[in-house]
Amino acid sequence: MGDGGVQKNPGFAGITGDFNLTEAEVRGTDYVGQRPLDGGHPAVAGTMPYQVPPKAVDGPIFVGPFEERLEKVLTRYEDRRGALLPALGIAHEARGYLSPEAMEEVAERLQLAPAYVRGVATFYTMYNLRPVGRHLIQVCTNISCNLCGGEDVLQAFLQATGTGMGEVSADGQFTVIEVECLGACGFPTVVQINDRFFENVQPADAGRILEELR
Amino acid sequence: MAYPYQHPSEVRVLSEYFGDPEARTLKGWEARGGYKALRKALGMSPADIVNEVKTSGLRGRGGAGFPTGVKWSFMPKEPTRQHYLVCNADESEPGTFKDRELIRWTPHQLIEGCLIGAYAIRATHCYIYIRGEFFEPAQILAKAIEEAYAAGYAGKDVMGSGQELHVTLHLGAGAYICGEETAMMNSIEGRRGEPRVKPPFPAVAGVFGKPTTINNVETLCSVTHIVNNGGEWYRQWGTEKSTGTKLFCVSGHVRRPGNYEVPMGFNFREFIHDICGGPHEGREVRAVIPGGSSVPMMSADDLDVGMDYEAFVSVGTMLGAGSVIVMDDTADIVKQVRRMVEFYAHESCGQCSQCREGTAWATKILRRIERGGGTEADLTTLVDISNNMAGKTICVLSDAAAAPILSSIGKFRGDYQARFQLEEKLMPARRA
Repeated sequence: MGDGGVQKNPGFAGITGDFNLTEAEVRGTDYVGQRPLDGGHPAVAGTMPYQVPPKAVDGPIFVGPFEERLEKVLTRYEDRRGALLPALGIAHEARGYLSPEAMEEVAERLQLAPAYVRGVATFYTMYNLRPVGRHLIQVCTNISCNLCGGEDVLQAFLQATGTGMGEVSADGQFTVIEVECLGACGFPTVVQINDRFFENVQPADAGRILEELR
Repeated sequence: MAYPYQHPSEVRVLSEYFGDPEARTLKGWEARGGYKALRKALGMSPADIVNEVKTSGLRGRGGAGFPTGVKWSFMPKEPTRQHYLVCNADESEPGTFKDRELIRWTPHQLIEGCLIGAYAIRATHCYIYIRGEFFEPAQILAKAIEEAYAAGYAGKDVMGSGQELHVTLHLGAGAYICGEETAMMNSIEGRRGEPRVKPPFPAVAGVFGKPTTINNVETLCSVTHIVNNGGEWYRQWGTEKSTGTKLFCVSGHVRRPGNYEVPMGFNFREFIHDICGGPHEGREVRAVIPGGSSVPMMSADDLDVGMDYEAFVSVGTMLGAGSVIVMDDTADIVKQVRRMVEFYAHESCGQCSQCREGTAWATKILRRIERGGGTEADLTTLVDISNNMAGKTICVLSDAAAAPILSSIGKFRGDYQARFQLEEKLMPARRA
């Protein structure tokens, strides 16, 4: 992974040997390119990659391109509540987690009660309710990965980062958590780091992957 | 460029362009015959499309296997209100990874299917609900949707026909239950993903209270080919009641895990041992889950069965989403069942007590058995709990949690009992 050349088994169903596509071709990044910050077409404005670069910590969230995206998203639903998940997504992307203040801002924008927004936000597991490391490492330990050693991979990441489950590492770089099925079961163990899937991860890969991320 | 490993027994209709990065692009898709089906569909009446899909015998690929054409025919014929199509790309069933491949390699195949499906049910808007973890496929799909809008395949006036068809990509945020159709509708409306009581059925009151149909990604992709080639063409594969081809996702203890497209009714033993390469060197297949963690397990003795809806039911399990999980003789079945039930306990939305309490208690009991502290009475309790969970709740998550418990106790009781012996060795005093 990572050198852009010939890849071995890069999360590609049915492959066990060498194969001659670049990682960018498999992941489609050469096709997608850079998504515009304002969200592009309204049909897809709710869809953005997880932003790794430093997050702004204060001030209003929905300003500039973030506000533009929210306005676009609002045109796609019958009422303002419909835009709640995309709006929470944008806030989450801007801050890296959903603080009570962020949820209040979403509530205000969508004319919903803050308690209602909180009730929805806490239902979904992808919204972090407290700050996490710059790289959120999510290891699948559900059945298919579990059969192929997912729990060992989880332990390897916990050891390599020196953190406990869900904690932020001392340098603020990493948080490791265990997650349910990520939907790439043919390539165990699957590890999602921020917006990217790492497939066929072995315990021995943990150190190298962390080095790549730093 | 094709998929590097292709087995001669496969029939590639949906997966023909897997591994071909050019098929992703609008130009590449058009060069491969893309959007011909949409053009053809717009020249047909919605009722004709529904009839063609009925003729094909296509059944929902998300798990339930309900005939797609029949589902579509439940929608009001004379729209007095907005109709919606929802494409279910939540793909959260453990063991399933077919929709991810369909989206990442052939996003336009799905968009075309969505547009045709929306037109057939007289909807002007289709939401594609994709799970939040699928950032990569979502980015690919987003780009493809933008291309479709720019080329006039979606928008206010599709291909100059005067027909309005919109597609909106909606990201989930990590909840297994949102793959259930009514929970998905709640999630699109900005609510917690809690399933709704039926009736009213989605075709009467769905998203925002409007008539709605929910179809799986693979179903809608298949529709594209059915419209192109006709319903009879699709029936050349499969059995009388389970027609066409289906993607099966194989994971666990096989040499070649991955997605394989075979005709319905294909021999399951041959599929696992030939197409998927069989178990690893020196190992034997012991248990197989044929349709994702929500369906009952089979033992290796039952593998001589056709891969279709009816045949799997005849051996006490289900086709589900076609997510084959293979366990060999090294697999710890008690541990894996505990892990699956833990998952359901985590994902239960908590509305129904049988599910909320049942999954939690079953997890606790299974953990105890796994640690060696179980007794025969625990198995009786587990069976009781499971029987009380199945068929008694708003949605089928509770049934799904009961499936691995009941089937594993039925077929691999010895595995549980072996753990009791551990208790005897560890805690002789307790037995005395």
